[in-house]
Amino acid sequence: MARVLETKRSRFLLGGLVLAHLVAISRQVDRGGGTSLLGQTVFAVLSPFQRVVGAGLGAMVATWSGYVDLRHVSRENQELRTRMATLEMELQRQQDRLREADRLREIADVKPTLPFETLLAQVIATDGVPWYRTVTLNRGKDDGVSLNSPVISTTGVVGRVMAVGPRAAKVQLLLDHESGLGVRIERSRITAVVSGQAGFADHVGNLLAMKFVPVLADVAVGDVVVTSGLDRMFPKGLMVGRVQSVKATGGLFKDILVAPSAHFERLEELMVVRAQPDDLVLTQEVRPPEPAGPGPRSTTKIGSPAAR
Amino acid sequence: MRVFWTALAILIALLVQTALGRLLPMQARVFDPFLLVVVYCGLTGGETHAMLAGAAAGWVQDVHFGGRILGLSGLTKVLVGFAVGVGSTRFHLGEPAARLLVLMVATVADALLFGQLAQVFDVQAYSLSPLGLAARAAVNGAVGMVVFETVDRQIKRWAPRT
Repeated sequence: MARVLETKRSRFLLGGLVLAHLVAISRQVDRGGGTSLLGQTVFAVLSPFQRVVGAGLGAMVATWSGYVDLRHVSRENQELRTRMATLEMELQRQQDRLREADRLREIADVKPTLPFETLLAQVIATDGVPWYRTVTLNRGKDDGVSLNSPVISTTGVVGRVMAVGPRAAKVQLLLDHESGLGVRIERSRITAVVSGQAGFADHVGNLLAMKFVPVLADVAVGDVVVTSGLDRMFPKGLMVGRVQSVKATGGLFKDILVAPSAHFERLEELMVVRAQPDDLVLTQEVRPPEPAGPGPRSTTKIGSPAAR
Repeated sequence: MRVFWTALAILIALLVQTALGRLLPMQARVFDPFLLVVVYCGLTGGETHAMLAGAAAGWVQDVHFGGRILGLSGLTKVLVGFAVGVGSTRFHLGEPAARLLVLMVATVADALLFGQLAQVFDVQAYSLSPLGLAARAAVNGAVGMVVFETVDRQIKRWAPRT
């Protein structure tokens, strides 16, 4: 008897939960996405834990990699081993700092040349499921990040903010299948849309698919792709990548793949554009000034290199 | 008390997924700690517990790692939790081999259900290739078996004292 009651209760619960989910999902589909109050609350409550893990992992990785190579050294060399470990850890920490300083210097070089205010943010979590391509940043509403804010790196466009909590924000990467960015081929001025490639999650690489380019359009391998500004979300002229392959499919549109200029495999420090979308519809394209001379570091910057 | 342990397990799953995503980004996509929580709740607590755990775990996963539309993982995990819970009341699923099978089937069902729901709601989410799905099932199965065994041992160890 108790089992029958339990079964009935669980069937009711299943029906209720499924119905509640369908209503919640349908409401979002109607609104075209965005964040619900429940979503915002869960994100706000749990993202501090992610921040702690993100911050702690850096230190743990440095410590672990400093020690892991030294595990089999004999007991007689204990003193030397300790000393070596200390020095190695110190060296590694210094190298990490150097690399971080390099990245920050690169950002500092680019930031003043941008005609809009940006906010430096660190990646605290990357996508944990195969279905989407997202990262979480350590900056949120309290820092001035808002929904749909563009996110860029020193080398190119990265994505847009799709959910924002008080101290963290989730970014939809350009590589996501659902992303969409208005772009232009710099040489021929042809406009199109880029998004993540279609295909199985474990087969697609870090390439972007360029859509809606007519078969007769003038597109060549190596062409520079920049933002068009037509999506009213991203400023005009930001570097997106270069055309990697062009194929005629026999249909109305060409099959084009773009190699993004942002390094999606190692995203660490990013810049969130703080201006409102209306402020970003610029009349002029974003062009950081040409570097004074050939420097030791890469000069590939956020603005496109051609036609300056 | 059960609610507390389930909430703690979901929080641990979130932290494990976050840490894995930072350390091994590619491998993190193969492993789903939230699913392990749901399956364990189904195996030990019945369908009601598993469904509620599934809803909570799925929403946390959606909010932190999901896309534009939230709730797809929640709904998927409610259904998976219900199926595992019902299965555990009808069959003897306490043996490691049976649990391995349940974990693998649950992983495949989770991925297929998610893909179908994404299509229904016109969400362009990536899906896994058959090989990728098999790898995900194998990893979840292997890790889940070890985790379940460890948790069971700890519960047995502490049960007489409480």
